Amino acid sequence: MSSVTSSVIVALALLVASPAAAQTPDDLFNPDVLQRVELWLNASDWAKLKAAFQENTYYPADVVWNGQTVRNVGIRSRGLGSRSATKPGLRVDFDRYSSGQQFLGLKSFVLDNLTQDFSGIKETVAMRFFTRLGIPAPRETHTRLFVNGQYVGLYALVESVDKTMMGRVFGSIGDNIQNDGYLFEYNYVLGSPWRFTYEGSPLAPYKARFDIKTNESHAESLIWGPIEELVRLVNDTPSGSFEQTIAPRIDLPAFVRYIAAQNFISQNDAFNGYDGMNNFYFYRLENSATHAFIAWDEDNAFLTPDFGITTRLDENVLTRKTLELGNFRSQYFGVLSEAASSAADWMRQEMQRQFDLIHQAMLDDTQKPYSNAEYAAERDRLLAFPAARITFVQCEVSKQTGASRPAGCE
Amino acid sequence: MKRHLLLAGFGLAGLAIGVPAEAQDKRGLVWDNRPSIVFGEDINIDLRGRVQLDWRRFDPDVAEDTFDLKTLRFSLRGELTRHFDWEIEREIDRAADDLDDAVEKWQLGEWKDVYLNWTTFDAFSVTGGRFKMPFGLEQTTSVSDLDFAYRTGGSLKIAPGRDKGVMAYGELLSGSLIYQAGVFDDDGDNGTLEEFRFPGEGRNIEDLEDVGPSVAVRVVGEIFRRLPVHNRLKGAEFGLAYTTADVPEGLNSLQGEEVWGYNFFDRVYVNGRRQRLGLQFDWSPGPTGFKAEWMQSREERIGQSNRNEDLSDFIGTAWYTSATWIVTGEDKDSDVTPDNPLFGGGIGVVEVGVRYDQLTFESAGKSGPDFANPRADHLTPNTDSTLTFGVNWLPIRWVKVVANGLRQTFDDVNRAPIIGTDRYWSGLLRLQIAF
Repeated sequence: MSSVTSSVIVALALLVASPAAAQTPDDLFNPDVLQRVELWLNASDWAKLKAAFQENTYYPADVVWNGQTVRNVGIRSRGLGSRSATKPGLRVDFDRYSSGQQFLGLKSFVLDNLTQDFSGIKETVAMRFFTRLGIPAPRETHTRLFVNGQYVGLYALVESVDKTMMGRVFGSIGDNIQNDGYLFEYNYVLGSPWRFTYEGSPLAPYKARFDIKTNESHAESLIWGPIEELVRLVNDTPSGSFEQTIAPRIDLPAFVRYIAAQNFISQNDAFNGYDGMNNFYFYRLENSATHAFIAWDEDNAFLTPDFGITTRLDENVLTRKTLELGNFRSQYFGVLSEAASSAADWMRQEMQRQFDLIHQAMLDDTQKPYSNAEYAAERDRLLAFPAARITFVQCEVSKQTGASRPAGCE
Repeated sequence: MKRHLLLAGFGLAGLAIGVPAEAQDKRGLVWDNRPSIVFGEDINIDLRGRVQLDWRRFDPDVAEDTFDLKTLRFSLRGELTRHFDWEIEREIDRAADDLDDAVEKWQLGEWKDVYLNWTTFDAFSVTGGRFKMPFGLEQTTSVSDLDFAYRTGGSLKIAPGRDKGVMAYGELLSGSLIYQAGVFDDDGDNGTLEEFRFPGEGRNIEDLEDVGPSVAVRVVGEIFRRLPVHNRLKGAEFGLAYTTADVPEGLNSLQGEEVWGYNFFDRVYVNGRRQRLGLQFDWSPGPTGFKAEWMQSREERIGQSNRNEDLSDFIGTAWYTSATWIVTGEDKDSDVTPDNPLFGGGIGVVEVGVRYDQLTFESAGKSGPDFANPRADHLTPNTDSTLTFGVNWLPIRWVKVVANGLRQTFDDVNRAPIIGTDRYWSGLLRLQIAF
């Protein structure tokens, strides 16, 4: 075979292979596409996973997406209140059985079973909205999930909050990807609501609430010591020196933006939640004392359009003491106004677009714990939310700030 | 721990005092190396016991206990006419929920040997009950007669160990060929199932609870005995053993557990036949001893892939070779006793030895990337290699002090006791009292 012929064959092969080779996490989490994810696992393992859905036991599986197969990944049941025996929420770890295995540069992703979201889009709309507002949030889209060839239902395909995502969100300084900090998943301790009150110098209470996800082998004093110090300083520092003391430890403007955005989307089970703090990741940046919040699990958003814009702001110590400072209080209401403006020409259209995308998959989903009629009712309620919420927030912000009241306020 | 020392001290004192009191009259309650009731010729009951106390050190520290009451066992063994002999042996354990308060929490533990032997004919005898399946030279050697404190990984995890069953055995060719062939209820204590048993369609939990029945055969022969070789070589024994059993579907394979209990290779899903093949060599010329074994297990994985397809066999392979030398000159045989005990003008028996062993688990299939996934066709292999140095001191017949140094190496550092660390040193000092 001549070298010219060989070159042509290689070039043709590359040309044919190029669509798969070019695929990236952006393609996987492309919100404009209803994905199709297939899991293949031994029939007895699938039965066991569903029977023991409250356990975190891993089972081996193959994943197929867009013509690509990843063999020997680990899957397990996941979630808190959303755990289900009939439609399990799943975590997919590519490196569970081979430490170097990744897919599209990802080590894992989450298949959110949407069992607590009758609309199927609260989580995905909320995360996209956060991203519009510059708040660190995982990329998400929807997928039909097939297990061993059988349609299991409509799921949200969620980017894992891990080192890979930290690198994406916080970028690089020179060649150094900023993903080697300390990442924590906040652990809601059942029956023990917590609102950032100081729990003493022993690290155990903080260890119980902040599950370390990176640098797990480091000394406990390195992992949780700065959190204990942060909570102590937040509680003990008077207003006069609060910003100067806390700002090096928490990105306060980003924190205010985060809680304002959560309030705008009427999220009742979040940082200033009804039962204390819940549903977020906390990241101490690499070689830094500064912590940042990362959004997580917003499927209880869009509760009601008239969700008070100052709801429980005085309960959480960090929230209360930050917003006692005039500059941050102004910023809080400013972000609410910004969110209203951003939502005005986007949120309802986005909701409608996502409903159009998932509609048939949702109707075909016989494993969901709600009926198609309940889905339709929730869809109608959600589509009415943006307009009502925007008006309510704008009116309430004007009340709080003394600005002129927009049209439509009562 | 003070109580254990006291226990050991009383044992030593009792045995030392017992030596001169050995009975010459072989009737009634006598001391014949151990307490014994002799009713008459060929009818007797021996009381036997053994205690092993271990002091251990680890480097790096893998959070193991530094002191361990390894063994506390009592047994009754006897003859019932010249046609039968029998044994009942049981472990005494500490309560699992209170290991720090050992003395007050004794409890009856696992049954060990419980069997009846019919021994009328040398060429054809039968054993029934619970006893060791005929596989593995080291596994079928009593724990108090081992050359080193612990058995090798293969003997602990591939060889089946004890089970309930019936076995025919005998000596042929003037004792130069020994055969054993038995049928057993399950597949030995080392081959039991662990998997949460999930009933599938058409099956129920009871169907999946038991492995086996199994069949085990072993032939051991002095194959040089009739050959024109040096006399010392004629006593060399060579053995071949085989077992087979059906294993139900589940996470039920044999597993790679090292000597201190760390699991360096988790169980994988199996379904089908489990077979073992073993070779053994034992040669004890004068005060020296040379032993070697090779054994392999193969377990089928029918329908166990992620897509319910058959996987390649799961294979465990182990081997060891050891050499010992009794410095004080006694003959090395299965019942080494001091020619000049400590209280008889000598120092007892002093023996030194070295052993190297490996235990590997892997898949037969090697194509494509390897995974630690229990359903992968190509499993990431892992090997535990251990070099053991040992000194044994038997000051008197019933007491043995064992000092062992172990150097372990794990091939896969991700499945080592400390992730990223492949080499470990450990040391052990054992006081053993057996009568």
